[in-house]
Amino acid sequence: MSTEIFGIEDVNVWVDALIRVLLVVGFMTVVVMGLIWIERKVLARFQQRLGPTRTGPIGLLQSVADALKLVGKEDLRPRNADPWTFELAPYLVFIPVFLGFVIVPFVLDWQIRILELGLLYFVAVSGVNIVGWIMAGWGSDNRYAMIGGMRAAAQGISYELPLVLSLLAVAMVVEVPGTDASAEAARGSLNLNEIVASQHEVPNIVWQPLVTVVFFIAALAELNRTPFDIPVGESEVVGGPFVEYSGIRWSMFFLAEYAALLIMALVFAAVFLGGWAWPFGIWMDDAPPRWAQALVVAGKASLFIFLVIWVRASVPRLRIDQLMGFSWKILLPLMLVQVLVNGLVLVYDWPEIILTVVGLFGIVALFAMVERAVRHPRPRPMTAAQLQGEAAS
Amino acid sequence: MRGILKSLMVTASTFARKPVTRQYPEGHRELPERDRAFPLLLWDEDIDEPFCTGCHACERACPVECMTVIMKDNPNHTSNDGPSKRRKIIDKFYIDYGRCMRCNICVEVCNFEAIAMNNTWQGHETSVYDRSDLVQDLPQLLVQSKAKQLQEWVAE
Amino acid sequence: MVVEASTPFEASEFETQDLLINVGPQHPSTHGVFRMVLEIDGEVVKDLVPYIGYLHRGAEKLCENNDFRQGIGYMDRTEYLAAHNAELSYVMAVEALAEIEVPERAQWIRMILCELNRISSHFMFLGAFGVDVGVFGTPFIYAWRERETVIDLFEEISGDRMMYAYFRAGGLAWEVPTNFVERVQQVLKSARQGVKDFDGLLTENEIFIARTKGVGVISAEDAIEIGMSGPSLRASGVPLDLRKTEPYLYYDQLDFEPITAEGGDVFDRYLVRLQEISQSIDLIEQCLDRLQDGPIVPEKMPRMLRLPEGEVYMRTEAPRGEYGVYMVSKGGNKPHRLKVRSACLSNLQALKQMSVGQYVADAIIILGSIDIVLSEVDR
Repeated sequence: MSTEIFGIEDVNVWVDALIRVLLVVGFMTVVVMGLIWIERKVLARFQQRLGPTRTGPIGLLQSVADALKLVGKEDLRPRNADPWTFELAPYLVFIPVFLGFVIVPFVLDWQIRILELGLLYFVAVSGVNIVGWIMAGWGSDNRYAMIGGMRAAAQGISYELPLVLSLLAVAMVVEVPGTDASAEAARGSLNLNEIVASQHEVPNIVWQPLVTVVFFIAALAELNRTPFDIPVGESEVVGGPFVEYSGIRWSMFFLAEYAALLIMALVFAAVFLGGWAWPFGIWMDDAPPRWAQALVVAGKASLFIFLVIWVRASVPRLRIDQLMGFSWKILLPLMLVQVLVNGLVLVYDWPEIILTVVGLFGIVALFAMVERAVRHPRPRPMTAAQLQGEAAS
Repeated sequence: MRGILKSLMVTASTFARKPVTRQYPEGHRELPERDRAFPLLLWDEDIDEPFCTGCHACERACPVECMTVIMKDNPNHTSNDGPSKRRKIIDKFYIDYGRCMRCNICVEVCNFEAIAMNNTWQGHETSVYDRSDLVQDLPQLLVQSKAKQLQEWVAE
Repeated sequence: MVVEASTPFEASEFETQDLLINVGPQHPSTHGVFRMVLEIDGEVVKDLVPYIGYLHRGAEKLCENNDFRQGIGYMDRTEYLAAHNAELSYVMAVEALAEIEVPERAQWIRMILCELNRISSHFMFLGAFGVDVGVFGTPFIYAWRERETVIDLFEEISGDRMMYAYFRAGGLAWEVPTNFVERVQQVLKSARQGVKDFDGLLTENEIFIARTKGVGVISAEDAIEIGMSGPSLRASGVPLDLRKTEPYLYYDQLDFEPITAEGGDVFDRYLVRLQEISQSIDLIEQCLDRLQDGPIVPEKMPRMLRLPEGEVYMRTEAPRGEYGVYMVSKGGNKPHRLKVRSACLSNLQALKQMSVGQYVADAIIILGSIDIVLSEVDR
């Protein structure tokens, strides 16, 4: 079979796939190294200090230096580590992130593949890395790693639900425009390209403010970022499930984290901020040039990344039980209600302003529920007196 | 959540401030006059000999016993037709910088104001590769004062 | 051992084994070299065994061979974060035994320096505590920014940034620089900004409150029984401040109240220390108003101090609690026995009681909130 790529007709599908894969790998590696540099510099500015300054001009080659150092490290493996689990865990964390790149819409007519079930695919592959963490934790033969791995898995699974529901809430009500300005609009789509196109007048953040906030929080949790970075809580179980990995294996986890950050940023920009479609418009004739669209997408993704780093610099870490409680008791009910409301709007064709109003009420409700949870915390597991009483008995 | 937003505002305000980092090897900050690095001996340039007469006062007063002092008869004394009034002069003086706790007591007890604490950057940048190189002998202790690189401060 | 508390399973069906975790001598929650072995079941701490002694250097014994000026350097090093307060207890003990009268100016300057040291020590606590709670580095950098201003001032006065050796029996070693008052005002201005930063960053943060409220509670009776002192005790509601109950230097002329909090949990200990920084700023301003010119050592100071026979116990309110020096002198110019009553060691006894029954993550925070410095625990 043959297909066309970049205007070249009649290319073998396998060659075409290989070219796309190589593009993704190359793009990702470079951008992830840049992301690490950006994070260190921005985080440093939040703390009123400079970041890396010596390796290369303004420290740009810091990631390269780190990578070189990691490559040169000895490849340690614990003696009792289960060989298959230990070796394969980094791949299982790393590869789903690459797979996630397939459906991200960069500009108007360029993605790796335009999948009709793009969002479903995205959610599905982003769940696979949880298996990777468990494998890393268990295969390391280290109790700290196991604790970290279990915590990471629990957190990952808990926050999948609000993440999925938030994407579902958006996918339900998007109005996909037709082939030109006069055709009728269809509702509901999982195709990321169509979701972006549906925002050509108003981005989804306006219609779904609560969903945006919940997606942001759930994305932080999926990325294992503060305030949800218990698995890699440095001052406690040092390094979490990755504590026994060194050198290149560890760097794969690290790169996977930043690549996942990039993907979440691009998906956020696409689903909530309008991607390449807002504010420029979508019709092929009067669409702005590709580089302008790419800049717009990059800007929106950078906003997400900046917010993530800002939160990292300011907010303490949640404890594991508080983290789970937050997801199951606060985020999930809110998302279920939001899906219900979206369904009603969809079926009865109510005006979309209801969505905004409900969303803003939802944000107020979120604040109120968090306040209540903080003021009236769960009781302690058991008091010292109880324990001593038990020890005596 | 309002508390979290407040924290975000605080870090945002820090973002706008100038970084407080000082790049070290390129720029050294100015040391105050009383800065107390390791002790040095002072050189009397009028007579061209150290002020120190080897009286052992500092050696006795040192809490960590980091000094070794050996004195000798001064060949420059007036009895030998020299300009100096010091009957004895220092022969060998060793200070172990690895032991010194920079407490300034040796400076306080010295009767001749012959020892002072180094208040320049050379006193702070004393890294060596071998610990025994930290033991400074008499020429090393005098070099900065001889080269007039020292503006010592001795408390009254 | 089988847990009943919050599992839905019947206790007898689900037997699990407890895990022994070693929070080792080197760990990222740096408070010095301290080791504790936690016995945990799932996430709950069942037992805690602390191991100390990694930083023991024999300071008390060394002071027996050093006279009353040489020993001051060793006292600095027993509590390096609040060295002026440590030196103060020692010189006050010597002055009490030798019956030396300290001139007024020296006393006021001593008070100012001790309160400045309290500020810098509490900032250090805030920084390390923020990192323990999980904010990535920001509180630490803020704390260091504030400490730099204070320590720069100390360097201009005494010459050293941490081991001052500035107090002497009878007064001070030498006179402060001429721009002392202006420099102190500058430091106070920057410290106020630092307190505001920390207040905004942590005190009302919901996640911080959720992490620290109700965690590591110790009641007032238990705290008194263990022998705690300092901000950790005052956070349990006991208004015991040695500057108020047993005024030394000129604290009886100043106007302040001990800062207490109800509850005795980690949040209260944090809040008490944060407010004590503001209180210290206020106290320093009161001292600056009362500072006059004058001598800093008494007129007739002997060259080599010889103490009569006797023993004395002098205690002061160090930032971490009651830091006392018990000195026995049998004549001569060296103490016969010097014992340091260290606040951190007594406060550390409460760790097990506070942590048992809490989560592992909380054990780290509780250790941070007692604010120990291992050099004082081990001496």
